[in-house]
Amino acid sequence: MKRIVIIVLTLFAVSQFVSAQISDSSLVYKKRVLESTEIDLLMSLYNQDGSHSPVNGGLGTEKLTNGTPTIVLSIPLNANDVLTIDAGISAYTSASSSNINPFWSAPSYYKNAGLTNITSASRGGGGNVITAPTGPITPTTYNTIGTPWLASTGASKSDILKAVHADYSHSTDSRNFIWGSNLSYSKEFDYTSYGFGGNVTRLFNDKNTEIGFKGTAFLDKWKPIYPTELREYKDYGVNFQSSGYFKGVKVYNQSGIASTSYLPSGFKEWDQTGRNSYTLSFFLSQILTPKFQAALFFDLVIQEGMLSTPYQRMYFSDKPNYYIGAISDIPNYTSPTNHRVYQLADAIEVLPNSRYKLPIGARMSYYLNEWFVLKGFYRYYIDNWGLKAHTFNVDLPVRFSQSFSLTPSYRFYLQNQIDYFAPFETHLSTEQYYTSDYDLSKFNSQQYSLALNYTDIFSKFRILSLGFKNANLKFSHYNRSDGLTANILSFGIKFVANGK
Amino acid sequence: MKKKVLALLFTVVLLSSCIAVKEYKKIYLNDPDMKLAAHQNERFEGNFQVYREGASGANGGKTGGGCGCN
Repeated sequence: MKRIVIIVLTLFAVSQFVSAQISDSSLVYKKRVLESTEIDLLMSLYNQDGSHSPVNGGLGTEKLTNGTPTIVLSIPLNANDVLTIDAGISAYTSASSSNINPFWSAPSYYKNAGLTNITSASRGGGGNVITAPTGPITPTTYNTIGTPWLASTGASKSDILKAVHADYSHSTDSRNFIWGSNLSYSKEFDYTSYGFGGNVTRLFNDKNTEIGFKGTAFLDKWKPIYPTELREYKDYGVNFQSSGYFKGVKVYNQSGIASTSYLPSGFKEWDQTGRNSYTLSFFLSQILTPKFQAALFFDLVIQEGMLSTPYQRMYFSDKPNYYIGAISDIPNYTSPTNHRVYQLADAIEVLPNSRYKLPIGARMSYYLNEWFVLKGFYRYYIDNWGLKAHTFNVDLPVRFSQSFSLTPSYRFYLQNQIDYFAPFETHLSTEQYYTSDYDLSKFNSQQYSLALNYTDIFSKFRILSLGFKNANLKFSHYNRSDGLTANILSFGIKFVANGK
Repeated sequence: MKKKVLALLFTVVLLSSCIAVKEYKKIYLNDPDMKLAAHQNERFEGNFQVYREGASGANGGKTGGGCGCN
């Protein structure tokens, strides 16, 4: 992150120098595409909760929090060229990811729960049978437990994604033709992404019509992390209960009887871990009247490679069930009150290694009067995994003054499920592809938002050499019909260098 | 597919035949609230929607890159 900050600040300093040199040496005035360097400081805070974690095969906690500080620097290199650098991080904690390894040593579980000295309860029966403890907790009193309904303390409970994106654009003197190119890079612990692309835009009809094409490629790479029990099975085979992480840990069958029959033979490691995404985009925007404009967007997206997520567990209905933890909670496994037993996976999600997506969307904005603007968006989406979706969005900016506006928004989304989705423990092991990821299930969602926008047209407010230009604060609440809820608060503020 | 392409071309021709609005008449169109693009900070909202929903694209937003798996 330090490096990113240093790079961004250096570029900012260089841009100031270059801009100054250019303005000093310009003999003929030409309106610049971007008058001065602009700086956007952005931030979002996101949280969600749900009960269909794909890491646990379609059930369990989906609690997640995420923060994304980001800076975007737009630098005019000369009258025609602009360089934009976009750098930021995305820091998250995820209960779902934490359960890649859901297993606790029971003493630490009770310690974290604040149960360090319990005096009134029955004692466990030994081995992995965990019931409420009596007396001080000691490492030898209890063994290993787990649950899909609480976050684990595993290393995968949090991560930071670092991302940087550079975009260069050139406009012709007439400003009727723009071309550009971009590079991007992002990295988190188990995933790395490299991207590049180019775009052209043509304006004509007195700049009333705009047509653009864009091509982008992302060459990504997984570093696969597998669920702990499957990783141990991979390393030790049938001996995994007498070696490694699970040495001495008892596994129980559905009846609560200790067993050595757990063999996740359906699990196979991925030998090809690349994921490439190619996008061709087309857009057309048109001014229809002095108060009405609209745009059409069309994308063709081709993805190939490892499109599955390697730590999303699968449980098959035609395979026997095995557990680690308290046998008394086995009948109660799918209830959120189960805090002490975890079902061992039969396999991981397997999805086809190619996907073709065809979304087409339309936007419009209409100036109703000096108080109201009406904005709408619709998108139809179809892909070769059997997913079809509709998205509607309407915004109604209400303008209180030349500087302030308040924008309430409503968004409705509807999708069917992909061909390969089934809920927890309903897939058959004989199927070729399977997932219990509810992001790919049938649902609808609604989102309500309120945004406050402020624009300082003359950049009167200043900090050092930076003039304040505008700010936007937005809060959204999201409800999905499967019970997932989310809130997001986002904030953006724009400064312009040497603004007057 | 042919029909869709023809419909798209028809729309292009139809829209481009509209009367051109001169620059000095674009005062309403140049209003910040009339922009057909989202605010910079709304990108985060678009990102989480891409992660939590099966559909993406045709929105000027992210269509690939990053696993989106948390």
